[in-house]
Amino acid sequence: MSSKTGKLPMHSAAWRISFLATIAFACGTLVIFVFLHQFVSSDIQRRTDAWLSGEVEVLGDVAARTPRDALYGRVVGEVAELAAREVPNKSTSKGSANDAVFFLETNAQRQSQLWVGAGDGQSNFEAIRRTKFRPDTPTDVQVSGFPVPFRVACLQLGDGSHVYLGLSERDELRVLRKLQLHFLFLWLLVVFLGFGIVFLVTKRMLSHVRKITEAASRIGHSDLSERVPATQRNDEVSQLAHTLNGMLDRIESSMHQLHTITDALAHDLRSPLTAIRGKLEMSVSHTENEEQTEPIVSAIEELDQLTDFLNKSLDVAEARADALRLTRTEIDLSRLVETMADLYEPSMAERGIRIRVSGESGVAVNGDEGLIHRMIANLLDNELKHLAPGSNVSITLQSRDDMAIVKVEDDGRGFEPEILEHLFLGRVKGRTSSGHGLGLAFVDAVVQAHGGMVEAINREVRGARIVVSLPLFPKEARHPVTAAVRAG
Amino acid sequence: MRLLLVEDEVEIQGFLQRSLEEAGYEVEVAPNARTAEQLAIGSQFDILIVDLGLPDRDGISLILQLRDLGMRAPVLILSARRSVDDRVRGLEQGGDDYLTKPFALAELLARLRNLLKRNSPSQGEATRLHVQDLELDLLRREASRGGQLLQLTQQEFVLLEYLCRNAGRVVTRSMILDKVWGMRIVPDTNVVDVHIYRLRGKVDGAGQHPLIKTMRGIGYVLKDR
Repeated sequence: MSSKTGKLPMHSAAWRISFLATIAFACGTLVIFVFLHQFVSSDIQRRTDAWLSGEVEVLGDVAARTPRDALYGRVVGEVAELAAREVPNKSTSKGSANDAVFFLETNAQRQSQLWVGAGDGQSNFEAIRRTKFRPDTPTDVQVSGFPVPFRVACLQLGDGSHVYLGLSERDELRVLRKLQLHFLFLWLLVVFLGFGIVFLVTKRMLSHVRKITEAASRIGHSDLSERVPATQRNDEVSQLAHTLNGMLDRIESSMHQLHTITDALAHDLRSPLTAIRGKLEMSVSHTENEEQTEPIVSAIEELDQLTDFLNKSLDVAEARADALRLTRTEIDLSRLVETMADLYEPSMAERGIRIRVSGESGVAVNGDEGLIHRMIANLLDNELKHLAPGSNVSITLQSRDDMAIVKVEDDGRGFEPEILEHLFLGRVKGRTSSGHGLGLAFVDAVVQAHGGMVEAINREVRGARIVVSLPLFPKEARHPVTAAVRAG
Repeated sequence: MRLLLVEDEVEIQGFLQRSLEEAGYEVEVAPNARTAEQLAIGSQFDILIVDLGLPDRDGISLILQLRDLGMRAPVLILSARRSVDDRVRGLEQGGDDYLTKPFALAELLARLRNLLKRNSPSQGEATRLHVQDLELDLLRREASRGGQLLQLTQQEFVLLEYLCRNAGRVVTRSMILDKVWGMRIVPDTNVVDVHIYRLRGKVDGAGQHPLIKTMRGIGYVLKDR
């Protein structure tokens, strides 16, 4: 749980959600801006073109009417200068207004006749000569020495001469650039602000979800009486919390009911069993005659088997319902298996069965001691009861990833195919088997209650194999120094 | 030894009282917590047996209350529950013991003896055990019978030592499994018996009178006379 709180914000769901939402928002606004930009720039173009066409018409008219004398240049020049003052989108910042507009008249031989504008107009004239004009439609002309193109309208006069009116697109571009800059600034502001807001809101929302998850996993591990935190608001998250809590209420009550039933059953059966056993034992100790004690002794033995059956049935039932109460401690599984093999060795030898233990030492699991002991004993009881003389049993202990794996193999007849499938269901036993057939069901129940797994198969060659895997005892708890080094 | 038995089931009460008296205890019986309280305040007991499922009160709260009132005697808790509740575990650490029903009488008696021994000052660990002509050297981990050294494995020595320490008293299979192998299991096979047969083969040689006696259905006893 500590690793969850310490991780980078980049790995959180809140980060992903706000990132995606921001990207979508940014793309959307960008598309809108592109359309807007297109619209504005074409509108400016249209207005410029309208002005150019109108003015070139006026100038052409003036040029046609004005007699070509010495004053011609001055008259047309004056008119052209006047026109330049009415330039649309004109910015007042830059010095002379003239460098934005020019007027050029060429004669029928396409030689420059009159120039009104900044500089000598030579480069403008060159550029215009290179350009092919269509009537009525202004055209872009790139003039050397100017970074920005001119928009030039052209009109042919009756005598074959042309008048050209050019307007620098500088101001138009400036307007558009200003628009772009403003947009970029606002766009970035809105995107970052939006990201921040979405991130904070989702984080807040998801932190409730995380709290619920943490509480739920705590509940799953230990205490069913705990509840997930619910907020006052009536949103989806708090509804989730309420639903979970309602579910937990029901689980807890049915769990409680199950415990009550099993406890009551255990109590109601145990009291008479205790009384019967005690009385039988007393009568045995008071009888000297061997023959008379025989039936009493076998009654005691059967009674003990009945008790064991009762215990196992209740354990299996509780484990199936996920209600087995475990008291976990660190158990050295290697030593346990070793000791258990020593304990069973004489009985096995008596039946002509050899037992061998191999594998890692120091493999520890976190489990309920009593249950794990009984589980291993059940595995060996199972071998002892079913193997023919001359067989071999081998127990191998390994740790793989975070699981301890106990492999019990023999070279006997193996499991009968028809019982192999439901071996762990309980009350299943082979035709030739003795006992109540709960042994492996108990093994399965205990292992599952500990979060492990049991697998039973017939080996390819001969015999059976049962593989039990149990979660290892967490290493952090065993070696706090290594944990600290890893965290740092 | 004065013993207070707090148990509501009449049947269990009956046979327990009889067998405890046979074992030499002076037994007072309380069928419920209220009576137990009055009896415990009224007189001194050396040891108590308390059933957890009492009709009027929870056994543990009774024990805790008696402890508050200054009772020092050890308690053997009888429980019909399978899993041991944490509170019982707490008491167990405090020097008391518990036993799950149904139990073998021999085990009940053994646990009572243990509790009483724990409570009385120890008179120093012996380094040698003698039972008839059997002698165990606990330091050198050697056993001999009639001066003849026995070839025992480590495990067999521990088993024999346990039998010797309880010489003359019956020990059950589950007691042997618990004390010698450290396991609270109920094997449905004869694992303990075979260990005993092996040990007997070494201890009770031909011509010697047998020391290890099987009490069928109950357990084993190492005869001390």
